[in-house]
Amino acid sequence: MNLRKTLWTLLRSQWLLLLAIALYGWAFSAAPDRALDALKIAGTSFSSVLLLIVAVMGLVGVIQVWISRDLISRLLGRQGGFRAFFIAAACGTVLIGPAYIIFPLLMSIRAQGARWGVIVTVLAAYAVKIPMIPLEVQYLGWGFSLTRSLLTILFAIPIGLAVEAIMERPAAVDRH
Amino acid sequence: MTNVGLTYLLLIVIAYGVLFRISPGRTRQSLAVAGQSLGRLLPLLVAVFALIGLFQVYLPPEVIQQRLGAASGWSALLSGGLLGAVAIGPPVAAFPLAGSLLAAGAWPPAIAAFIVSWVSVGVISLPVEAGVFGLRFALARNGIAFLAALLIGLLVGVVA
Repeated sequence: MNLRKTLWTLLRSQWLLLLAIALYGWAFSAAPDRALDALKIAGTSFSSVLLLIVAVMGLVGVIQVWISRDLISRLLGRQGGFRAFFIAAACGTVLIGPAYIIFPLLMSIRAQGARWGVIVTVLAAYAVKIPMIPLEVQYLGWGFSLTRSLLTILFAIPIGLAVEAIMERPAAVDRH
Repeated sequence: MTNVGLTYLLLIVIAYGVLFRISPGRTRQSLAVAGQSLGRLLPLLVAVFALIGLFQVYLPPEVIQQRLGAASGWSALLSGGLLGAVAIGPPVAAFPLAGSLLAAGAWPPAIAAFIVSWVSVGVISLPVEAGVFGLRFALARNGIAFLAALLIGLLVGVVA
């Protein structure tokens, strides 16, 4: 009984990991050399960001314990008004690093009182990479890169407001 | 990326050192929060990276090139957005791929949709996003970001 319960909890919390293991099992039985290639790519890309992940979690700890709720909700919450969205869009364009590392960071800011729209605006503006614009221009040209970046920034705040509206629809109460 | 990580880690360690002098108790609390978040996230991340490896092998750039190479119109725009959504990897990798496609005569709106969707829509990282923010948020944000990527793509075609 207890074992079954434990297994069920494991399945529910780690389904993605189990799925990955199952897929690898299938890949290894179908084509071992390709599966090994995939595993190597996975290993090198994971080890290259592992330190960054640890560092960002350290930052999450600092934000949650040291940054006052008042400050965050004044700047990035409802009280921040529209300025909160401009701060968010600006932060999004300069942030770099993979999105799944940014998520926990943003959630810690959300937990300290930032509104949903602000979180989403950061993630939308994040498709503009100011530190990487020279690289984008090199491959895609000025016209294309600038138009794409400007449009992405223009869309960031409406996207934020739209997702916030969905999150705060009274019909479905957020479980978080 | 390893050096960037090392730099950030060093900065954080210094920050913890400074904070520890101010208040050892709160710093220990920070450390506990950091450890908990890391423990919750790590299995998810291991899974995501394992999937990234599979994707790189089974969905190599050549496949994307084939899909986006010549077509134009709605189907190309949609393929651009969808391929961007399932592809995962640093934008540094998206730019050269997109550049070679444009040079080969691909339709600019499809390429713009591909880049925006690559960065802001993540099918593989969806479970991580749902784990952190909740499923409702992850679905709403990715859905709307996907539509926006298509729209931005179309507008790039009009303007550029």
